[in-house]
Amino acid sequence: MRNLIIFLRRYFNFFLFLLLEVICFIFVFRNNNFQRTVYLNSASSISGKLYTKYNGVQYYFHLQSTNDSLVKENVRLHNELASSFDTRDTGTFIKYDTLRKYSNDTARKLLSTEMRKYLYREAKVINNSVNREINTITIRRGSKDGIRPNMGVIGPDGAVGVVRSVSENYAVVISLLYKSTGAANNSNFGFSAKLRNSGEIGTVYWDGASGGYGYMKDVPRSARLHKGDTIITSGFSAVFPENIAVGYIDTFRLSDKSSTSYSIRMKFATNFYNLQYVYVIENLLRDEQTRLEDSTRNLLK
Amino acid sequence: MSVLLRNIIRFILLILFQVVVLDRILIEQHVNPYLYMLFILLLPFNLPRPALQLLGFLLGITLDMFSDTFGLHAAACVFIAYLRPFILNILSPQGGFEVTQRTPSVTSMGTSQYAIYVSVLVLLHNIVYFCLSVFSFADPLYLLLKIVLSTVVSLFLVLIYELLFFSRK
Repeated sequence: MRNLIIFLRRYFNFFLFLLLEVICFIFVFRNNNFQRTVYLNSASSISGKLYTKYNGVQYYFHLQSTNDSLVKENVRLHNELASSFDTRDTGTFIKYDTLRKYSNDTARKLLSTEMRKYLYREAKVINNSVNREINTITIRRGSKDGIRPNMGVIGPDGAVGVVRSVSENYAVVISLLYKSTGAANNSNFGFSAKLRNSGEIGTVYWDGASGGYGYMKDVPRSARLHKGDTIITSGFSAVFPENIAVGYIDTFRLSDKSSTSYSIRMKFATNFYNLQYVYVIENLLRDEQTRLEDSTRNLLK
Repeated sequence: MSVLLRNIIRFILLILFQVVVLDRILIEQHVNPYLYMLFILLLPFNLPRPALQLLGFLLGITLDMFSDTFGLHAAACVFIAYLRPFILNILSPQGGFEVTQRTPSVTSMGTSQYAIYVSVLVLLHNIVYFCLSVFSFADPLYLLLKIVLSTVVSLFLVLIYELLFFSRK
């Protein structure tokens, strides 16, 4: 016993070192599990407050570019309004952006009632990183404002990321800038996207090199690609709605002559370097969808 | 100014400088400049080793809170805090450094010794940090480039720090 105590005292420094490193590693690995909703720390109140202050100053200098992007977005949305279209009387439905659709003749029969599926909430970005392996965005909106983990996040120009963890007033978003190889293993953040013109599905991922460019793979060889084509979300996951821009094709190539799929380098639609406002998307039917899928999976077991 | 007060101020200023300035600077995708570990390097010679390690842990976890990398900086800081006494031992002349000045600096250690001391510890910090952060050896060139370039930039920042706060007392 005495020898043990002497042993411990002699190597006390080393044991303290091991203890501290083990604590660090527990932190690292507990937080690396993507599925678990953990309390990431820029969501905590002290650092959250500091970032809010800092962003207040920084935001001022970006007012011009923020305004520009908001105006552009307004124009795009105006263009999609029903009132921007000249409805011709050809027996089609009037497209009111409401829950109900009526027929266009004098009877005005109720044709269908549509449920709202996606609900958008705006949020201010207060912290943003682009040069790490796993980049996060902190937004000034939390569980008090109805944000919950695994909601999709888009910016004025296109897809941004997925909410990872939430505190009362803040939420942390994992952006699309999440280094992965796109291969189907467990440390993978590739997500499903498709080409707007032809509809081919592929996987989008980021290789960690530059914050402006990502990659899309698994696009079949039969696809006709052109530089500048738009890549949009596929709507397969319950996170993003369909038809949200992800990026634009920059270059594409076949890895070798015999390969069956293209590897596409694309420019992200979102400029992650000057993000100021984002929209958090809530899928109101998500619970129903996942419950159905889970119960089916249980039946098949 | 007492040593304690000086170190507390240095702690706060280095963390703030790291969070508000350096983490925002985008030189190149491979370059993440880090200066905050200078706090550990400039702690007094006679600080007991357990205290050194605990301070390293505190420094790392404070920065981790700001950058959402829970545990990464702390692991790297504890690592260099543990190795600091060994490196100082190797570099010290026979009979130890002069006790007139109690902290490592260019005047107390000599230019070349101080340069080696800083370079080795900064490099070790970056190796541990980036290995943990990238967490794969699938792309060794990427990792190596990141470590080397970031270390060069960090050392440049240390040089500027030394030029700014040089004191001959």
